[in-house]
Amino acid sequence: MKPIPVPDATSAGYWEAANRGVLALPRCSRCSHFTLPAGALCPHCGSTDPAWTTEAVAGDATVRSWTVVRDSFLPGFAADVPYVIVDVELDVEPGLRLLGRLTDGADAPLHLGDRVTVAFDRLDDEFAVPAFSLTEEQVTS
Amino acid sequence: MTFARNQVAIAGYAQSPIVRHADRTLGAIAVDTARAAIADAGLNVADVDGFTTGSLLPSSGGQAIVDGMSIVSAAWMAESLGVNPRFCSGFVGYGQIPGSVSLAVNAIASGAAETVVVHRALHNPPKGRYHGNPMTKAPGTAQWMAPMGYWGPLSMIAIPTMEYMQRYGATREDLAEVAVEARANGAQIPWSYWYDKPLSKDDYMAARVLSDPICMYDCDIPVDGVAAFVFTTAERAKDLANNPVYVQGFGMGSPTRARIPQHWPLEDIVDTGAETAARLWESSGLSVRDVDVPQLYDGFSPLVWWWLESLGYCERGEAFRFVSEGGINRANGGLPALSSGGAIGNGRMHGVPQMLEVYLQLAQRAGERQLASANVGVACHSSPHYGGAVLYSAHEL
Repeated sequence: MKPIPVPDATSAGYWEAANRGVLALPRCSRCSHFTLPAGALCPHCGSTDPAWTTEAVAGDATVRSWTVVRDSFLPGFAADVPYVIVDVELDVEPGLRLLGRLTDGADAPLHLGDRVTVAFDRLDDEFAVPAFSLTEEQVTS
Repeated sequence: MTFARNQVAIAGYAQSPIVRHADRTLGAIAVDTARAAIADAGLNVADVDGFTTGSLLPSSGGQAIVDGMSIVSAAWMAESLGVNPRFCSGFVGYGQIPGSVSLAVNAIASGAAETVVVHRALHNPPKGRYHGNPMTKAPGTAQWMAPMGYWGPLSMIAIPTMEYMQRYGATREDLAEVAVEARANGAQIPWSYWYDKPLSKDDYMAARVLSDPICMYDCDIPVDGVAAFVFTTAERAKDLANNPVYVQGFGMGSPTRARIPQHWPLEDIVDTGAETAARLWESSGLSVRDVDVPQLYDGFSPLVWWWLESLGYCERGEAFRFVSEGGINRANGGLPALSSGGAIGNGRMHGVPQMLEVYLQLAQRAGERQLASANVGVACHSSPHYGGAVLYSAHEL
C-alpha cells in the first residue's frame, strides 16, 4: 500500500484540489507569491500572518533534474520500480520546485530544461498526487 | 568577530572496532571508548566535566530510538561514566561532528567546562533495511515526499548528482574514481570494515544502480562503531600525553531557500557550501593553500566533488575532472583528501574518519600513513550546505 497523505491545516486545500485533478498552491495574501509547503510565515516576504489562500495554477514546468528509482525504500512502491522522479521548476513561481513521478516511463529520454506539465497519480478514492508528463514543446535551454 | 584560536585542543582519542553488527550494546562500546580516550589523553574520568555529541541515527527507516542502545546521548554518557557534568549538550541537525565539536569548543573557551569528551556512536539496526519504511500514512513533512514515491537519502543525493552530470558532462566513470580511491585507502586501514578489500573500477561499474546515477558503492555501509575525542584548554593539553592538536577555525551553515523536505538542489549545495567555506577561512585566518591535510566528507561519493568546489580546490563543475585526472589519488601524489578511507572506505562513521585522520596526522600519530607535511587539517562532515568543517593545526598560530 502506498503512503497516503495526511492533510493538515496548511495542506488540506492542496490535497483536496489534487483529488480533483487540479494543481493548487498556497499563496501569501501579503505578497502574492506561491510557496510549498506553506508554513508559519511566508518565505518570500517574511510575513508571520500570510493568510494563505490556495489557488489553482497552470502546471507547466521545466525539468531541473531527475532520478530513476530502481530500489524503493517504501514497500508500497516495490511493484512500480523502475520509475522516474522529476525535479521541476514551476512557471508560475520562479524558484518554486516540485518533485513528482514522470508518467512517461523509466526509459523516456530526458534533458535538463525539458518541458513538462502536471498530471495526477491516483492513490485511492480520496487522494491523487501530482505527477508530471513531458510535453511536445521545444526544449529551450 | 574573532574565533577562539589557540585556546582549545584535542588531547586524546579512542575508536572502537568498526563492524557490521557488534555483539555488545552500543552503550557499552561507547563507555569503553570514552574511557579509553580519557586514558589516552593521560587523564582520569574525574578530570572530565563536559560531554557533547550528535546522536542522530542517520536513517529514514522506522527504527525505534533507545538511548544507550540505538543512540548514545551526551547525557547518557555522563551518567554512565558517573560524572555530574558542568556542561552537557547534544547537537541537533546535520553535520554532527563539526556541530558537537563547536559545542565543546564553546564550552571550553567560555569557561563553562575545562575538559570535554566529544563522542559519536553509530548503530546499524540488526533487523530490517536501514532506510526501509513501511509507512502507509504520510503526515507532516512526509506528505511532501512519500506519497509521490520520493523517500530516503539515495534519491535525495541522486537528484543533484544527475543535475551535475547533465550540466557538466560528468559520468559514472568519474564518480567511480571517488569510491575507488576511498576504498583503496580504507583497505590499508586495520580498523576499517573494508580492511584488505579494495574496490576495482570494474566492480564499481558493474554494481547495481539504486537511484540513477547512484549505485551501492557510492554509499557508505551501515556499521556499529564509536569514536571519542578529549578536548581541553590549550594550556592543559600542552602538559598531557600527546601532541596537542589545536582548533583554529569553524564553518557551518544551512540554506535559507524554502524547499520541499529533503530536496537538495545542486545550487543550494554549492551556494551555501561556498559560504560555509568562507566562514572557515575567515575564522582561521588561513586559506585553502595552507591546508596540507584536507579530509573531505564522502558519505555519498558526489559529496567529495562538492566539497572540492566549495572549499576552493576547483571551480564549479570542474571537480569531477580534477578527480578523474588523479587530483585526489594519494598514491600518485594527489591531495590526500580521502587518506582516511573516508566513510566509503571505513563504514558509516559519519564524519569520524575525517576528524580522526586530521587528528592522527597533526598529532604525528598516523603511523605508516603519516604524511611528511601535516600542519593544518580540515575535517569536513555531511553536505557542504547543511554540514560543516573544522580547521585544526599542529602548532599555535
